[in-house]
Amino acid sequence: MSSDDAHSSSSEHDSTDQNPNPSTSIDQSLDAIEGQLTSISLNHRNSPLPEPPIPPPHHGIGDTLPSDAHSQVEEVGAVEKSGSDVEVENSVSRGEGVLWRNSSDVEGEVEGQGSPSSSGYAGGKGTSSSSGVSGSGIEEISGDEVDQGEGGIRSGSFGGSVDSEWVPGKRHVNEDDASVSWRKRKKHFFVLSHSGKPIYSRYGDEHRLAGFSATLQAIISFVENGGDRVKLVRAGKHQVVFLVKGPIYLVCISCTEEPHESLNEQLELLYGQMILILTKSINRCFEKNPKFDMTPLLGGTDAVFSSLIHSYSWNPATFLHAYSCLPLAYPTRQAAGAILQDVAESGVLFAILMCKHKVISLVGAQKASLHPDDMLLLANFVMSSESFRTSESFSPICLPRYNPMAFLYAYVYYLDADTYLMLLTANPDAFYRLKDWRIRIEMVLLKSNVLNEAQRSMLDGGMHVEDLPVDPSPRSGSLSSHLGQPRPPPDSADRCKALLGGPCGLWHFIYRSIYLDQYVSSEFSSPINTPKQQKRLYRAYQKLYTSMHDRELGPHKTQFRRDNNYVLLCWVTQDFELYAAFDPLADKALAIKTCNRVCQWVKDVENEVFLLGASPFSW
Amino acid sequence: MASRRRMLLKVIILGDSGVGKTSLMNQYVNRKFSSQYKATIGADFLTKEVQFEDRLFTLQIWDTAGQERFQSLGVAFYRGADCCVLVHDVNVMKSFDNLNNWREEFLIQASPHDPENFPFVVLGNKIDVDGGNSRVVSEKKAKAWCSSKGNIPYFETSAKEGFNVEAAFQCIAKNALKNEPEEEVYLPDTIDVGGGRQQRSSGCEC
Repeated sequence: MSSDDAHSSSSEHDSTDQNPNPSTSIDQSLDAIEGQLTSISLNHRNSPLPEPPIPPPHHGIGDTLPSDAHSQVEEVGAVEKSGSDVEVENSVSRGEGVLWRNSSDVEGEVEGQGSPSSSGYAGGKGTSSSSGVSGSGIEEISGDEVDQGEGGIRSGSFGGSVDSEWVPGKRHVNEDDASVSWRKRKKHFFVLSHSGKPIYSRYGDEHRLAGFSATLQAIISFVENGGDRVKLVRAGKHQVVFLVKGPIYLVCISCTEEPHESLNEQLELLYGQMILILTKSINRCFEKNPKFDMTPLLGGTDAVFSSLIHSYSWNPATFLHAYSCLPLAYPTRQAAGAILQDVAESGVLFAILMCKHKVISLVGAQKASLHPDDMLLLANFVMSSESFRTSESFSPICLPRYNPMAFLYAYVYYLDADTYLMLLTANPDAFYRLKDWRIRIEMVLLKSNVLNEAQRSMLDGGMHVEDLPVDPSPRSGSLSSHLGQPRPPPDSADRCKALLGGPCGLWHFIYRSIYLDQYVSSEFSSPINTPKQQKRLYRAYQKLYTSMHDRELGPHKTQFRRDNNYVLLCWVTQDFELYAAFDPLADKALAIKTCNRVCQWVKDVENEVFLLGASPFSW
Repeated sequence: MASRRRMLLKVIILGDSGVGKTSLMNQYVNRKFSSQYKATIGADFLTKEVQFEDRLFTLQIWDTAGQERFQSLGVAFYRGADCCVLVHDVNVMKSFDNLNNWREEFLIQASPHDPENFPFVVLGNKIDVDGGNSRVVSEKKAKAWCSSKGNIPYFETSAKEGFNVEAAFQCIAKNALKNEPEEEVYLPDTIDVGGGRQQRSSGCEC
């Protein structure tokens, strides 16, 4: 009850406050429930003193703490729902009697015939092979062998230095649904047409998966025939998520324990990527000819899709729906913005300067605004297509959130290995004019040293948790409402120093500004410094995001959660969302205080980590 | 190069229950035959690669259930088919008589653009049974019906002995190829920024 009160008081926001930064102290919202929580945690921990801050070894939760695992999760505020409790069994599976089976079962045959006979992913053989797949989502992260496609996150920040070793492109082309290895892959994506013809598969050869593809269509159509719609099927550890977009069907089959909402959004993005390449006019082709095969039109784009799917395991932009900027000194970004502004005024719809996945500057023509998802898909398209790197290009592209029906033209030019310029226009004859503009832009950027600064920023990274100011910054006096009352416990200084990562056990954070549609995340540092740990943290954030934005129970304001791996703290206001990960033994009061400091810190450096002054990105 | 690309053909197999649709498929795809009868439930799907005149095809074979209770699956199953195979048992007159129903049903459900020229293939199966002594549908009769329906190719087959099965499926690939639509240039619109038909839905313009 008291938590409800505390919660409602924290949700009272000053709606006139347009500051994209904190206006409420998290102390107020969480402190009120503090007492209640302390008693809870005392029940579970015999010693109130933190044990040595060594992160627990890598285990499935069930392995180490079979009985206690669940009670270790502390939750606060309005969030009652831990991810593991989610019980969503949707419409589905009306066709209880399995109507589609592997036809080789007819003869009691096992796989190995010359050509794949097909269907039943979860049927017959599927079941036996899935039981061979190692269990929990945590194990999945270590399951490189079966999960090679996603295993390659390098150290560096989310959205920063993407691993250099991960090579986009089709994997395991020789597999099909009869292969044991194919069946063991943790996460499949399929795209097919409404007649059951395969369009894309993450693993394996599309044609050899024709039978499997037909099975998927049959399932979708069968439910549709009954006037219903299949959205999700749970089969043991596997979730099968369906998304129907007119004549195009998208399916994800996953045992990664990601929330099905996340998988659904990933399918949406996959569809968006397809629209970016072909526009929604593709629907007309299917209307004219249901036999239409769109794979020839997608020729050579395997790398685009595999790279997008890979980003689902490291790029927070895929679930935050926000973009991130390359940290730069304010005047540097201004210099880039000024010249882009000139181009935009000359009739270019969007002028975007990016360094890998991060924005240096971005300008839109009047009233034109760019959705973060479109930016994600556009950047992914450009970066994963090798040919853009080797010459200046002029390519038709479609921005699905801007106008899914029609093409724009993108002039793309790499200024150096990482930095590229994209000028979007509606004029198909603008190539030479844009080329001239590019030359001018390039000169300005060289003169103002933007490219060198960008390179340096790539090397230095942005915000490191170790640098989090321990003392209130000099400016904090004027922002006391945000900082709360700084009254550090006597032992705080010592404990802060004793821990890995940043002060008070802070390991990592993501701050998303709602007004700017931008986010900034800290660089990875010890102990989150292996790809495995980074991916695990990414998945934890993803789950946290989903639970905070739950459509039925949410949205929520705060969440504090402790498990074997982390303390996760999330705080959502109308201005920002903060996701922070701490040492699992971090003290709650200190963690809350630290989050306030992070918000202040972001505020102090917002000129450098965000692109300010750009027009609002959503209308 | 574009003409060299692999084509995927969706092939639907229709016919009364027990005429040997699944057996034909199994013989063709897996070179196996079992005399034990198991009714197909709903549909089975098989994939087979075929080479025809230097071109590689993937046949996506939809083996449907012959029982009437599964016929409601129609529209979804028939959509976008490239070829339809009608099977009857030469020893059962009713299965031959029903070919007409199956053909009509297919044309209604799939509603192809050019129903007159949609590629069908008719297979008279089980010619091996009883040394041909129990046969009731003559080759002549079957061929006559086929020619009356726009010269549908006709094959006499034995799934058990593997007789003529390969030839029949080669013909399926050939027919589907003949029916291949000309490739059109894919030309979506370009955004018209200046003009009136701007795309915004209902967003506010502030």
